[in-house]
Amino acid sequence: MSFLMNRHTLTVASLCGLLLMLVFISYAVDVRVFTRIATTLCINVVMVVGLQSFMGNTGILSFAHIGFMGVGAYTSALLTIPAQMRGMALPDLYPFMEGLSASPILAIFLGGIVAAVIAAAVSYPLMRLSDAAAVITSFALLVVLHTVMLHWSEVTNGPRTLFGLPAITSLPLTAIVAAGAIAVALMFKESRLGILARATRDDETAARAMGINTPRVRWLAFILSALLAGIGGGLWGHFVGSFSPKAFYLKETFVILGMLVIGGPGTITGAVLGVFIVTAAFESLRTLEVVLNSAQIFSGQVVGVTEIVLAFSMIAVLALRPGGLVPTREIGDAIVGLIRKRKG
Amino acid sequence: MTELIQFVIDVLALGGAYALMALGLVIVYGILKLVNFAYGELIMVAGYTLFLMDGTGLPWLVMAAVAVLMSIFFGVATDYVAFRPVRAKSVTAVLITSFAFSTILQNAALLFISPRARNIPLPDVFSTTVTIGGAVTPLRNLLTIAATIVMLTLFTWLMRRSILGIAMRAAATNFTMARMLGVPANLIISSAFAISGLLAGVVSLFWLGRIGSVVPGIGLEPLLVAFIATVIGGMRSVPGAVLGGFLLALIDTSLNHILPQDLLKFRDAFTFSFVILILLWKPDGLIKGPASGQRT
Amino acid sequence: MIEITNLDVRYGAIRAIKDVSLNVQQGELVTVLGANGAGKSTLMLTIAGALKAAGGKITFDGRDVTAATPEKMVRYGIAMVPETRDVFPDLTVVENLRLGAYLHRSDKAGVMADMEKVKDLFPRLREREIQAAGTLSGGEQQMLVIARALMSRPKVLLLDEPSLGLAPTVVDQIFEMIRELKATGITILLVEQNATKALQVADRAYVMQLGEVVVQGSAEEIAGSSDLSALYLGG
Ligand SMILES: Nc1ncnc2c1ncn2[C@@H]1O[C@H](COP(=O)(O)OP(=O)(O)O)[C@@H](O)[C@H]1O
Ligand SMILES: [Mg+2]
Repeated sequence: MSFLMNRHTLTVASLCGLLLMLVFISYAVDVRVFTRIATTLCINVVMVVGLQSFMGNTGILSFAHIGFMGVGAYTSALLTIPAQMRGMALPDLYPFMEGLSASPILAIFLGGIVAAVIAAAVSYPLMRLSDAAAVITSFALLVVLHTVMLHWSEVTNGPRTLFGLPAITSLPLTAIVAAGAIAVALMFKESRLGILARATRDDETAARAMGINTPRVRWLAFILSALLAGIGGGLWGHFVGSFSPKAFYLKETFVILGMLVIGGPGTITGAVLGVFIVTAAFESLRTLEVVLNSAQIFSGQVVGVTEIVLAFSMIAVLALRPGGLVPTREIGDAIVGLIRKRKG
Repeated sequence: MTELIQFVIDVLALGGAYALMALGLVIVYGILKLVNFAYGELIMVAGYTLFLMDGTGLPWLVMAAVAVLMSIFFGVATDYVAFRPVRAKSVTAVLITSFAFSTILQNAALLFISPRARNIPLPDVFSTTVTIGGAVTPLRNLLTIAATIVMLTLFTWLMRRSILGIAMRAAATNFTMARMLGVPANLIISSAFAISGLLAGVVSLFWLGRIGSVVPGIGLEPLLVAFIATVIGGMRSVPGAVLGGFLLALIDTSLNHILPQDLLKFRDAFTFSFVILILLWKPDGLIKGPASGQRT
Repeated sequence: MIEITNLDVRYGAIRAIKDVSLNVQQGELVTVLGANGAGKSTLMLTIAGALKAAGGKITFDGRDVTAATPEKMVRYGIAMVPETRDVFPDLTVVENLRLGAYLHRSDKAGVMADMEKVKDLFPRLREREIQAAGTLSGGEQQMLVIARALMSRPKVLLLDEPSLGLAPTVVDQIFEMIRELKATGITILLVEQNATKALQVADRAYVMQLGEVVVQGSAEEIAGSSDLSALYLGG
């Protein structure tokens, strides 16, 4: 009973319940489009919860997140594109890499590890910076990652589409990984490290005075965040089967960031809720765009309305409710609070 | 020798554009301690303004002036749409809202104009080349250098001699005190955005002149340039921004010469790695800005 | 001139000013005394419009200015000399003064005349005209801030601890100057910890403790009251 009453367990259980419901509905409805949307949603949960681990706890905006998603996707691709397709998919591949191979599940996981290792290697110096300089350098890091993906044709097939990834990503798999990501992110948030990270977020000077090693704390949060992004990238790669570097750039960054900001970067509950809300809004708007286009009301193609609406929503949320829809209290805290109140 | 002259002209022309771009970012940052992510879109706005005026038969200089005016207008609009609603909140909030504003502008261009590149009208002088000491260089490069000198002189005059400039410098170190002397906060902030728009507008003419066309995503590269130059030079320092701009141009141009062909495509990656090295050495950039006050 | 009734000011959860009422009449020099943390600076900043009142009312010349912005307050005729001695360190002495006359910027001749006047009042500033204000000594910075405030041609001067951290001879100079200013007819609200000196120049005084006014009266009364030092030091 006391185990059930634990507010953290309750948070994870509630959020996973939400995912489970999504899976059930999707099986009940059994429409391919819906399953696709649900799967993408779960992948986005992994991405957004990953970004939350860094941004929510340290208060620093990171643009590089989506770059690590790319790292995960390309790593997983290298390990899983079948031998007979490699010549076509990666014509310039280094000979020593030709023998690399792993099962897709392992490859997705390794994609996360590689992303985390790269993050660990490049980011430590950046973690000393604060405010504007930190954000700008994370932006520069995104550009570096993008440039490398775009031009390292030996490994990524350059700007061209890379294809041949086995499409093994299913809705249950993504839901399980998303649940795992939620649990890990919450564990991190409530761990000593997470609490230290939030101390540096709330008052950097005081944190330093207390002897907290700010760069190290931020660095560890950044590595965790990259790990989750890498795994998310692998999952996505095995879902769509083919992609090119432009899938990991500003447009996608904007969507992920929008989900987190609208939901509330301070909480995992907010992050997950943000994904659900933005996905729902996005899909409706996109349907609207399609309808408008097929009805040919306007002479040209209607594109970009979705992004414009998301952008205005973000500004509105930040202006009216700066902490997002769920600023501080996880759902578990709210439930425990309710029960306490009823008990009197 | 010829090659050296060529190199120097290239660095000065590129560096001038970079420096002016960086200056526009720093002027806002200095006063608000906030970064404008929608800054690059001012180049796009100026570009589409030129495109839309193509065929109107107006003299090019008039079109250019209108383009710069539009850049100023959207610069000030950035303040109203992205900054004011959240200004008091946090650095991160403003970064996100200005990122959102940038997305709005880009998608508006996609929606109302086209995702494809559009040619812009350019004067003939932009395609002329001249020979200096044996080096053949586009006249455009020399015009960029001249415009840089004019703009920097104008800027210095404004900041040193005019009461508005003095008030802006004061507000950059202590906004509240400046207000307690009667300097209206909104005037200072709007002026900073207007100057920022003016600088971006002038740069856009040369930036677009080099490319000859405009696409919705054109603002990204100038934005990056401004970001990196200011981080190198020191976020709060005006001379730092100028130095950062020229230094970045020097790095870029040198890499163009040094890097072998198959590594050249990674130039941006090299440049940014270099920037990270500079930051390791000097986290506040090369020139520390004026004594800083509170964020307002 | 200034009429404050039941003023409350908060910093988040902290109530720095509690139910303070105070008035200053035309031509008066009123001093506010109190230990560190009594809320004196908070009071001054609230009058100047730099802090927002959480409750109560401030009127100036009969006009309700409780919610006025700092830039409005200067226009109405209130000039602030903050405790933090906020010169603009990167601006020269002359630039600092020019900015003080921001409101009168179109009246070039008048500003030039004012500038001469304050430089006569503070000859040290004339010697250091083109020096960056950040390189001045503490006493010189204090003179500059007062001079800059005068450049706005105020009706009321708010002086927050002008003698803070200055050498005794400089403190004497500053008080001498306050006496001269008073003789010109300008209204002054002076915050001080140096009670003896402040009471020598003041007409009336208020004593604050933990955000509240605990004693008020004429300068002689307050100077004569035996428990002043107990109140004052006990704050
Ligand atoms: N910026 C601030 N934030 C929070 N509390 C403050 C701030 N400034 C002053 N205080 C608090 O308000 C009270 C009054 O301070 P202040 O007005 O500076 O007193 P005084 O000028 O009499 O020394 C003190 O308890 C002080 O700690
Ligand atoms: Mg004080």
